[in-house]
Order: sequence, then structure tokens, then C-alpha cells
Amino acid sequence: MIHQFSYMAPTELDDLLALLDTTKGGFKLLAGGTDLLVNIRNGLLKPDLVIDVKRIAGAGAITYDVEKGLQLGWATTINDIISSTEIAKHYPLLQACACDLASYQVRNRATVVGNIVNASPCSDMAPALLCLDASILVATATTRKTIPIQKFFTGVKQTVLQPREMVVGITIPSHTKDSKGVYRKLKRIQGHDLGIVGVAVAMVEGRLRIAVSSAAPTPVITDDLPLDVSAPDALYAVERIINPISDIRCTKEYRRFMVSEFTKRLIQEVRA
Amino acid sequence: MKIQVTVNGIAYEKDVAEHRTLLHFLRDDLGLTGTKEGCGAGECGACTVYFNGKTVNSCMVLAVEANGGTIETIEGEAQDGVLSRLQDAFDRHHAVQCGFCTAGMIMSARELIHHTPHPTVKEIQDGLEGNFCRCTGYEQIIEAILDATGGYREKEELVYVREQ
Amino acid sequence: MYENNDPKTLTYVGKSALRKDVGDKLTGKAMYVSDMKLPGMLYAQVKKSPHARARIVHIDTAKAEALPGVRAVLTGDDLSYRIGLYIVDKNILAKGEVRHYGEAVAAVAATSLEIARKAVDLIEVEYEVMQPVLNHMDAMKEDAVLVHPDLGSYEYLESSFTPVPNTNIANWTKLRKGDVEKGFKESAYIVEREYDNPSVQHVPMETHVAIVQWGPRDTVTIWTSAQSPFTVRNLFCHTFSLPLGKVRVIVPAVGGGFGGKAGIHLEPLVACLSRKAGGLPVKFQATREEEFSLLPCRSALTYRIKTGVSLEGKILAQKMEMFWDAGAYADYAVNVTRASGYSASGPYEIPNAWVDAYTVYTNKPYGTAYRGFGHVEFHWGVERHMDLIAKIIGIDPLEFRKKNALRPGSITLTGEKITAHTGNVIACMDAVAKSIKYGKLTAAEKRREAETGKKIGKGIALLQKAPAMPSNTATAAVIKMNSDASVTVNIGLTEIGQGSTTALAQIVAERLGFDLDKVYVKLEKDTESDPYDWQTVASKGLLMSGNACILACEDMLRKGYAVASHILKAGVEDLAHDGERIYVKHDEENSISWQKIAVGYAYPDGESIGGPLIGVGSYIAQGLSNLDKQTGQGKPALDWTFGAHGIICEVDPVTGEYAVRKIASAFDVGKVVNPSLLRGQIVGGMLQGLGTAVCEGYIYDEAGHLLNPSFTDNKIPTSRDLPMEIETIAVESSQIDGPYGARGVAEHPMISVAPALGNAIQSAVDADLLHMPIRAEDVWRAMHNHHPIDNWITKTPTGSCRSDPAARRHTPDAAISP
Ligand code: FES
Ligand code: FES
Repeated sequence: MIHQFSYMAPTELDDLLALLDTTKGGFKLLAGGTDLLVNIRNGLLKPDLVIDVKRIAGAGAITYDVEKGLQLGWATTINDIISSTEIAKHYPLLQACACDLASYQVRNRATVVGNIVNASPCSDMAPALLCLDASILVATATTRKTIPIQKFFTGVKQTVLQPREMVVGITIPSHTKDSKGVYRKLKRIQGHDLGIVGVAVAMVEGRLRIAVSSAAPTPVITDDLPLDVSAPDALYAVERIINPISDIRCTKEYRRFMVSEFTKRLIQEVRA
Repeated sequence: MKIQVTVNGIAYEKDVAEHRTLLHFLRDDLGLTGTKEGCGAGECGACTVYFNGKTVNSCMVLAVEANGGTIETIEGEAQDGVLSRLQDAFDRHHAVQCGFCTAGMIMSARELIHHTPHPTVKEIQDGLEGNFCRCTGYEQIIEAILDATGGYREKEELVYVREQ
Repeated sequence: MYENNDPKTLTYVGKSALRKDVGDKLTGKAMYVSDMKLPGMLYAQVKKSPHARARIVHIDTAKAEALPGVRAVLTGDDLSYRIGLYIVDKNILAKGEVRHYGEAVAAVAATSLEIARKAVDLIEVEYEVMQPVLNHMDAMKEDAVLVHPDLGSYEYLESSFTPVPNTNIANWTKLRKGDVEKGFKESAYIVEREYDNPSVQHVPMETHVAIVQWGPRDTVTIWTSAQSPFTVRNLFCHTFSLPLGKVRVIVPAVGGGFGGKAGIHLEPLVACLSRKAGGLPVKFQATREEEFSLLPCRSALTYRIKTGVSLEGKILAQKMEMFWDAGAYADYAVNVTRASGYSASGPYEIPNAWVDAYTVYTNKPYGTAYRGFGHVEFHWGVERHMDLIAKIIGIDPLEFRKKNALRPGSITLTGEKITAHTGNVIACMDAVAKSIKYGKLTAAEKRREAETGKKIGKGIALLQKAPAMPSNTATAAVIKMNSDASVTVNIGLTEIGQGSTTALAQIVAERLGFDLDKVYVKLEKDTESDPYDWQTVASKGLLMSGNACILACEDMLRKGYAVASHILKAGVEDLAHDGERIYVKHDEENSISWQKIAVGYAYPDGESIGGPLIGVGSYIAQGLSNLDKQTGQGKPALDWTFGAHGIICEVDPVTGEYAVRKIASAFDVGKVVNPSLLRGQIVGGMLQGLGTAVCEGYIYDEAGHLLNPSFTDNKIPTSRDLPMEIETIAVESSQIDGPYGARGVAEHPMISVAPALGNAIQSAVDADLLHMPIRAEDVWRAMHNHHPIDNWITKTPTGSCRSDPAARRHTPDAAISP
């Protein structure tokens, strides 16, 4: 890589947050690096300092509690999600989305937090997190707050995060546990590819919700729909939240069509 | 920054620039050129190595991240000059043509076998998805991995139609 | 060169011997140019044009030159050399004008890669952006912007090519056979349509890389990841007016080529940098992104076919117009045009034929050779067209093909007569048809359709290709016996993964009767120590180098026998040999071991005879001739390899998504030398063909920027993209002048995969597809009769891939009469 930067890897979260507070110049947090390092290589980002967040004990922890739900660390990788038996049992939709993200060795590095902080419209984890009512734990040196994921994305590659804030975890509440959910992603090849569109349908507490990626500036989700919602009503709900564009991957007509077709099929699947 | 890493069982202590990738560290600083660069952007898998027991695209890892860690590369695959089970199967099944993807392919295959000792064809295809090969069409690679894991059934290479 | 190829008597030929080249590749020890580092070596980087067409107003290199560590900076003004394979039209660095996005305008060599990159960033170029011509059909128009206004003054190979000055036509290949107008008049049906494919990238896993050292007294050493060291040397010496003996080209292991590394590419630029830097070695390796636009791609093609057919389904006349998008430089594209021109009908007999094939300059990255050399592209049109005609005249597509296929006695487009030894395309077709149970769905398939709601379709496509090469193409082999009675084979053919090394070793072992383990083939190629070979291209290696090896074996045996005849005091005709010794036939005890004569024999008294045993074999293409420039008649083909693919495809009739359930591929290879190697070529080529059928293609915006120059948006097939079932079939009708009857098959597996898929999809859901690749959206559009997306040149830089359907220049619909 051509761009030079310095590197720090704090071993305590407090130190890390203090560093965020005090550091001068541009910095970037390094977790899996699968987006950050590509962007630096391509000259799109030029941080002065790269702060590795993985050296802190518990950075990648996954904890599950019947009462409190699922807690993911800020460096939990996609393959950690896939190999967790508890997630397999209680949050299958999370795994379904994780399995479709990039390739095996990328999943060994890529993190769930990175996938949403990057805020790509084609995020694979966002549809699941949206359906499961995830909340994002955000910290600075002095503050802690929780942001519902529905409020997290603000535009293409944009979130509500402020410059010195860091996501320190994701909570998925217990009320969405054991929800049935399915995910389908349209790709150009069978192998790893960015989604042309992605649709997740989940049955949460007796209601249906539909989340869509790559069809609007951010990943989006419908309001809750009755379980027996008619196909036209479901499609109407989806139509209202998407706003696809044409790009080199596909036209907006086809995107629109595929979102509705996937929605129809996945609703049937999730009801089955 | 000074880092300590163990590569293929050998401990190194080296000064390395913060922005150097693990791939270039291995190839240029340690002379381990068996690991290849096919894209430098995390897409092709030619640079796949073991990093602390997991496969990663080394073009998308900083060398400094490996400080205190353990790396394994293709150069450590054969032991005392004896090809590993995988390498031997790759040889017997013609799973290598130009050879540029081979190092990464073997790393990914090893990881696959590690978590799925007797993979199905589908599991092999899924496990190798991140490793491009432009030459072989993957078929003979898949067969080699099946063979190395005891799942291969002997079959004819070709159907012949001969002149009468 | 086959006297006997009965499998029962052959020891090595026909068997799956292990590859000779993989030992080091498996352990990471094989040395590729990418892995090499020489003492004092500098690293090069290039400044590339962000515009498709612009005048270079000014280049300021002062800041770059001042950067510590920079040893050389060059711009087009510093260099006055033009290069070109067939038309000398390209400056080493753009001079005065840039002609495509990604073209090199300046270059730097520095002590590290990072310094070189920084220096390139510091070079300031002022451009005056000009309107580019992007679509090759637009470039054919009379008032089109001229990409090369000086075309008329360029040097070119006059025996084969015809540039048209003051146009964008870099070459116009004509072929005239019979009387097409008469043929059309006699036809009951006339079917005309146009077919397209975009440019695609070869994607060798090792990008282009070269190290050059311009040493004292103009001795130049070049290490390069290239297919054809002798071509690199010839063109290099031509460009710099150097004697051949002063330039040495070395090719170690090569990480894939596929035609993209056939010509000369980075070497001259890197050489100039080395010379400027005082003779230090300089290395340049393209990034993956540079591989897409600095280096060449495969040309796009628009192919218009008009066919006249009799009531009974015989083709009576065919007019074929090919428009090849050369991009900014002619490179191999003119020869692709020529080779495709004389093969344009595919494996069918056309009594009255007319071909106009044009190579058209545009302001895009330029086209070069790519596995199949034009045949992948035009077979898309030919084989979709054959299905269309069959449908229109209401006969089975296979039946229709059979009626018109080349068979013994048929006359090809160029006037060559097909014989029983040319190969059998019908046998290939029948074999794949049987394999996929063409023409009907099985009970299981019908059940599957009912269960899944998907539609299953089956399609077949045939193919043919001969090596595209000059009539005097030649090669040689040298076989040297070592004192342990093993042999080392030197050939100029490179090993780029295709496996020739192994196949040739088998041929040598077979012919010598030696143990295969005792046959070594030198892997690294070096123009200074290896015998000449024209190029490693065209699927000519096995046939030509195989024959050269056989001749070299015979030469060595002859020399060995001559020595033995003295020692054994017997006539050479009374001698025979095995892997160990030469003996007298009627007195087997009377023998002398190879070891004793390998490097010269010493009698017990010390007197010596013989000397090192070295066999030399030279082979030149025989009986070929240049094509007449007006009629295209002549003999261009060393050997024809025929083949066929059959595909079973499952399509979602609502969304257009599809999956290939089975592909069966058959080739008439003459003789299988190594089944495993052959299967590797077939499956690898098939998947590469499937990639271009399914998803690959260059996409530009309207200013000519390439929008997908990386793996993010230029996908290639992964392990998950393999068809569910693959069957590989070898047809063996011996090639009389092939080694043990074999002919080449390296390119052929890639040809006709796309039309087989298109035909299968059409048979499943009646989607009428006219362009490659076939994306799910294309199928969806075709099924619903929506306008096709023609997104290879898009309206807006940032996104929209939809262009106005009215902008399509030619109505692609079938015109049917009467
Ligand atoms: S070189 Fe690292 S993924 Fe391609
Ligand atoms: S063997 Fe050439 S890329 Fe895999």
C-alpha cells in the first residue's frame, strides 16, 4: 500500500476510547479490514492513524442469555456467527445472511459491526439485524448510548455515528429470538458477489417483517405486517420503502421486480 | 514497528512499516514467494495463508496485525520434503495447471478439511469459493480434495468415441 | 506422424501420466517473474490516461524527477519507437494524443514500488479532452472521428492485411466463394439476424509482469511472463533495431496466459526505463486494475448473418459481416478478424459464401488474442443462428446441423477439401446429444419441473477451429542424452499451464522406448539456449512440437545406432534397442548400454568414438498458403479440431434466473495423449467459456471510462459456478500428420459454450437471446419481450445501465421471407 499511516492496538477498551477522544488527525478503526484496507489501497481513504480494535479481550465475544438476548462484540466475525450453535438455534436469520456474505476467508476477518458501520446499501447483515430489532451500542470516552438499528443508517455509506464514537457491540433482544427468517440474495454468479438485491423475511412474534438491501440508499425494513397479509399488501409495503437505481449490476426495473418476486416467495417459505 | 511472528515454525523479529500488508511482508521481507498476489483487494484468494489458525487473504491484513501471531504458508505444507496428503492428491488429480492459485487453494482446502473432515462436493465448492482458478475449472481440484479425505470414487476420465 | 497408435501397443501415449511441471508449483518453490528480485532492481509504475480520447497538452515531470529514489522518468516525447504485431500503430507511451482510457502516458522507475507510485502521482498531465468514438458500429460511419488519422502511413504486414486509410478500418478481410446472390435467389427461406458480444478480460491469475535489464553494449535481458519468447525477441529487436543475438528473453513459470500474453506488451517500456536508469534491472507488474485497461482485452463483435436455405434444409448461400472492435490499437485483432473470416460459417458447408470482416478502431482498451481467437465470439452468432433457422423452417436443430455439417468431401469456405482424417464433427454432436438426452425431457426431468416450477431446456452447439498462424510456422526440439541415459528435452514452447510439457515428454518416452521418469523437459524458456518456436498459441503446440520431438528422437536414435554399429560390429539395420541398451537383433547378448555411449564411447584401450548424443528435430507447417486477398481462397489450416457442447439448463420462468445442470463436451482430438490433461483443458476451457456466457464483459460510460476494471464488478466463475454434472468426451479420428494421430484442443473447449447455453435457455422458456453474456435480467427481458439492455456503453458515468433501445443501430429481429 502506498499511503502511510501509524498503527496502534490498545489492549483496554477504556484506553481505546480515550485514544479516540484525544487523537489528532484522521483516524480509522481497524477490525476485519476487509473494507478499510481495500479503501486505503484504492486511495479512497487516507487516515493518519489506524487503530486496531481486536487486541482487547472480549472484542469478538458472543454471549447469549434467555432473558437479555444475544450480545455481539465489536470484533465478532461473520464466521463466528456461522459457527455459533446458539445463534443457529435462536437466530437462524442472522446465520442465513452471514452465509451469503463474501467468501470463507473474508468471513474469517469481516465483522458484523464492520458490515453495518460501513453502511453499504448492499450490506448482507443489515436485513437480519433490522428484522431482529438489533440495537447498536455506541460509546465515547465518556458516554454510552444505544441506537436502534432502524435509526442507524442515514444514507449511502452514512450513519448517525459521530467522528469520535465507536460501536462497542450489538444487542439482539430476546423478544426476537427463535423467529423464523429467510434471506435471498440475487447475485451475478453463484460464488461470492455483492448483492444485486437482498430480501429477508422474518416472522417475529406472530407478525411479518420484510427487510431489503441494495434497493434503496440504505437497507430498509417494512412496518410489521399481519402474518396472513395478502401478497398485494405485502408488495405494497415493500414498494413504499424501496427506491432502486439502475447501475452496472442491473436496471432498476429488474431490481424492483426481483424484490417483489423474492418477497412473495419468501413469505410463502416463512409461513410454510 | 518491530514485530515478532512465527512463520512455518520459525520465529522472526522484523522491523516493518505500518502500512505493509502481511502478503508483502511474507513475500518481500521473508522471501516466502510461494504465496501469490492475484488482485491485492481481497477478491481472488491467491494470497490465502493461515493466520492464528484461520485462513485469511493476506493482502487484506497488515503485517503489524500479525505481531505475536503465527503464520503458516505453502512453504510449510510439505514436511521434510514429503508432500502432504493434499499436495499429493493435487498432483495425482492434475489439480494444478499454471499453479498460480495453488498455494491459496491448498490453504483453503486445509482449512475446509480441518472443520469438515469428510466434505461433500458441495461443501468443497463452498469452501473454495474465495479462491479463483482460471485454469482448471475446479473439477480436478474438487476431486483431489475428495481423494485426500477418502471420499473419492474412481471413475473414467473420458468417454471415448473411436473410429470403427 | 502416426504409424501406429493402437492403444494396446502404446506404453505412455494415451495414459494419464503425472504432470512434469507441478513439483515446484505444489510447494511454492516454482519461480514466476512476479517472484523474482534482482540485485539493484528498480520498480516501475505508469501514469495512465483518465480519458478515452484527449490531446496531451503538457506533461510536467519535474516534481517526480525531484523525488528521492526516482531513477528514471519517461514520457512519450522521450521515445520515438512504434510497435505493433501486424500494423505498427502504437507508441510505447502515448505521444500527442491518448486513444483509450488507461493508456500509459508516462512512466517512472524508482528504488521502491512506493516511491514509484508517489512519483507517478506527482506527474501532472494537462489534457484537452476530445469526443471519443466508442461503439464500433459508430466508428464505421463515414463522418466518424478517426482514431488513427495517419493509418495510411503505417507500416503493416501486406501479405495478410488490408487497412483502409482515412477510415477506422484497420483491416478488411474478404472471402468470396461461389455466387451468393444466385444462392439467395434459389433459397426458399432467408434468415437474417445480428448477434453481439462485448469485450472481456482473460484474467490470468498472474498479471502481466516483466523485468528488463538494458546492459552494456546494448545487450538486453528480458524476464517476462509471456507465452512467446521468440516473438517478444523478434518484435523487440525490430522496434529497437537490435541484432537478435543481443537480446535474450527468459520465461520462467507463467501464471496463465490464455492469449493475453501472446504478443509483446510491457517489455519495450520497461526496457526503455532500464536504459534511462543506467542499465539497472527494472520490474513492472500490472495491478489487477491495470490488467483490465492498460493491457489488452478480447475484442467485442457484432456479427450479422444472412442465410439462404432450401426447402429441404440445405444452406445454399450465406452472407457474413463481422465488425470487430479493435479498440485503440490493432495488435492481434486484425488477425482475429482474418482467422474468423475464413472460419466464419462454423463447421458447415456453405456452397455460396460472402464474408466481409472488419477490424474497427475505437477509443477503448485494445483487443488481442484470447483462447479461441475470435471463434468464441462468432460461434455465438453462428450457433444461435442455426437454431433460429431450424425453428423457422420447422426442422429439428440437430437434423438441420447434420444436413449441413462438414463431412469428407465437403469444401470449406477457403476451398479446402475435408477428408476422413480431418475430424468428425457429427460424431461429436451425436455424442453430446446422447449424453444430455437431447430433444426430450426424461420422466425424472418432467417430475422435477412439476416439483420446482422451473423449466428445463436442452441446447447443443458445434464448433471448429484451426490454428491461426502464418503458413511458414515452425518449431524445433533438441533432445540431449545425459550420461545416466536419461534425456533432457529443449523446446521453445512455453508451459503456461496447458500441460504440453507432460504430453511431449510422453511422446518422447514412447518414441524412444525409454522410461518416462528418464525424460526431463526444460521448463524455463530462454531464447539463447532453446531452439526456436514461433509462439505458444493457436493450439498448435502438441501437433507441431510433438512432431519435432518425434523427429528429434529419431535423429538421436539414428546417431546412437551409428555408434553402436561400430562397437557391436553389426549393420544398423540389424540393431534394436530398449530403454537400457542397443543390441543386435539376432544376438541379443551382443549389446551396448545407452549409458556407455551417451556422451561418447571409450573402448577398453581408451580409444573413443561418438560423442554426446543429441537429436534435433525441426518441423514446419506443410502445405499451407496465403489467402487470396480478394477471394479469401487458399489453405490456412494446419488441422481442424471439431467439437460440440450439450447443455441441460434449468430456468426460472418468472425471474430468468438459471442454473446449468449438465454440460457434455466432445472434441475430435485425433488421439488422446493424456486423458487427465485433456480433461483439465476441457473443463477449464468450458468454465472459462461459461464465464463469458454468464456474466463477463467490459462496461463503459459514455465518456469511455471503463466502469468495471476489477473483480468487484467483473466477476469470473468460482468453484460454486461449476455445472452440476460434467461429461467430457474424446472422439478419435486420427490426424495423419499429428504425433500418434493427435491434434490440438487447448482453445476449443471455450468455444460454443455460450450458444449451447443460449439454445438451452430458449428451449426452456423461449427467451430469444442475441447478445452475450446472458444475465438473469437478459433472460427476464427476453421472456417478456422487453427491450434488451445494451449496457456495454452506458448513458451516465455514475450508474444507469439502461440505454435507449432506439439507439440500437440495427434491428436485430429476424427477417423472414418469403
Ligand atoms: S491477492 Fe489477496 S485476495 Fe487477491
Ligand atoms: S492453476 Fe492456473 S489459476 Fe489455478
